[in-house]
Amino acid sequence: MKPRRPLAPAPPVAGRLLDAQLHLLDRQVLDNDGVPVTTVDDLELSGPALDLELAPGTPAPVLTALLTGPVLGTRIFGGRPPSSRLIRIPWKDVSDVGVVLKLGVSGEHLDAGWVERWIRDKIIARIPGGRHDPR
Amino acid sequence: MKRLLGVALGILTAIGGFVDIGDLVTNAVVGSRFGLSLVWVVGVGVLGICLFANMSGRVAAASGRATFEVIRERLGPRAGLANLSASFLINLMTVTAEIGGVALALQLASSVHYLLWIPVAALAVWLVVWRVKFSIMENVTGLLGLTLIVFAVALFLLKPDWGSLAGQALAPAVPAEETVPTYWYYAIALFGAAMTPYEVFFFSSGAVEEGWSIRDLVQSRVNVLVGFPLGGLLSVAIAGCAAVVLLPAGIAVTSLSQVVLPVAEGGGKVGLAFVLVGLVAATFGAALETTLSSGYTLAQFFGWSWGKFRRPAQAARFHLAMIICLFIGLAVLATGVDPVLVTEYSVVFSAIALPLTYLPILIVANDPQYMGQHVNGRPVNVLAMVYLVIILAASLAAIPLMIVTGAGS
Repeated sequence: MKPRRPLAPAPPVAGRLLDAQLHLLDRQVLDNDGVPVTTVDDLELSGPALDLELAPGTPAPVLTALLTGPVLGTRIFGGRPPSSRLIRIPWKDVSDVGVVLKLGVSGEHLDAGWVERWIRDKIIARIPGGRHDPR
Repeated sequence: MKRLLGVALGILTAIGGFVDIGDLVTNAVVGSRFGLSLVWVVGVGVLGICLFANMSGRVAAASGRATFEVIRERLGPRAGLANLSASFLINLMTVTAEIGGVALALQLASSVHYLLWIPVAALAVWLVVWRVKFSIMENVTGLLGLTLIVFAVALFLLKPDWGSLAGQALAPAVPAEETVPTYWYYAIALFGAAMTPYEVFFFSSGAVEEGWSIRDLVQSRVNVLVGFPLGGLLSVAIAGCAAVVLLPAGIAVTSLSQVVLPVAEGGGKVGLAFVLVGLVAATFGAALETTLSSGYTLAQFFGWSWGKFRRPAQAARFHLAMIICLFIGLAVLATGVDPVLVTEYSVVFSAIALPLTYLPILIVANDPQYMGQHVNGRPVNVLAMVYLVIILAASLAAIPLMIVTGAGS
């Protein structure tokens, strides 16, 4: 192993500083109507693959998407699903990060909601009263 | 005036909703075997549930986050999943016990065998969860559950020797025919029955269901701080009735009919009618709460859309999860396992799982990011730390004591 050079000081950043572990992972995600979509199960970063040697001057990785679905299992038990199997919510759709993450789009058409929609359309909505408003 | 009525209604439903099959069975068993010598545990348990229910309600009102969302955020996915598995399984056991309790209570009222009542009870639970508005569900079962006050009335009508009852309660001692480990085993069971974790899941999720804000906190605090202790008094009355009638007769409670025996003796037919209504309402109300809690825990962990305030189609996975849970409960009960036995185990396992629920709530209630200026005050934290020690001790001692005493036999 090469002797480590001291790290370059962090570049100045505009805006809020978010800690992935503290402010993003395992937070509830709501759509623009306040309906829960999912929990942030993992995050996807841009940039070079993990095992590549970094050339000097490589740009810092950028958060590209929130991940959900079976990726939760790999976070608990290890491993990594192939990229094509990841269910993504693009980071550009996130409008606010607080105690929850708010999306600027409707959850109705997100890939992350397909199981909910499937169960709704195939089972729950078919039971009498399934669309009855309790209020 | 309307506000006052709201407070009164809240208190009454908190009293009527406090007692469930776990409290009924455990208090009657303990009363029939140990007299009132374990009453102090009910006091400790009630103070604990007041403390933590209040805290989880405050977290829900201040941050809009229910308990299990918070548990996953704080513990991460791995410890969170372990916690979910334990809490969910114990909750499922409680659902089973409560539905069995409804069926047993209906058997007492109708002389139709309880196995025939089980599908009816489960279907009724599902219909209410599916269709009825949250506040109506809470108020009706809570108010009908108030008829359990007949236990207190019966205790007076039985004209017990108050001096000896007070003596048992104030100077607790292990009765001659029982052993010290058994005494402590039932102490843990009573503690678990009073502090069952589902009450916290339900309470905090209910706060979100009813859209509480910080302004509603005063009312919720009054509901909890007045309603739960009075509900605890009902528990004591159940134990007292058993101590007066069953203990001298040498009957150790093993069935629900023995639980109501003292009321029949003290209150006659009218008393019996009241207690049967109360039993059905209390167990049915708790069956609803535990069924909803199983949906709440799963939905909050995985981030699904949940809540009775939404149309079922807008919380599809939440409703499907509850339907599956009810079917599992049905399947377990269909094996003919004694619901009273399931209850006795469920309260002890609840005691084992207590730290899993209460520690994360305590941590988040101190986090200004969630709570803003409504973080715990110092006295609350001191008391909560004391309780954490008690909860841990009970949790760790439960399994060894269960083995040593052969589950209290």
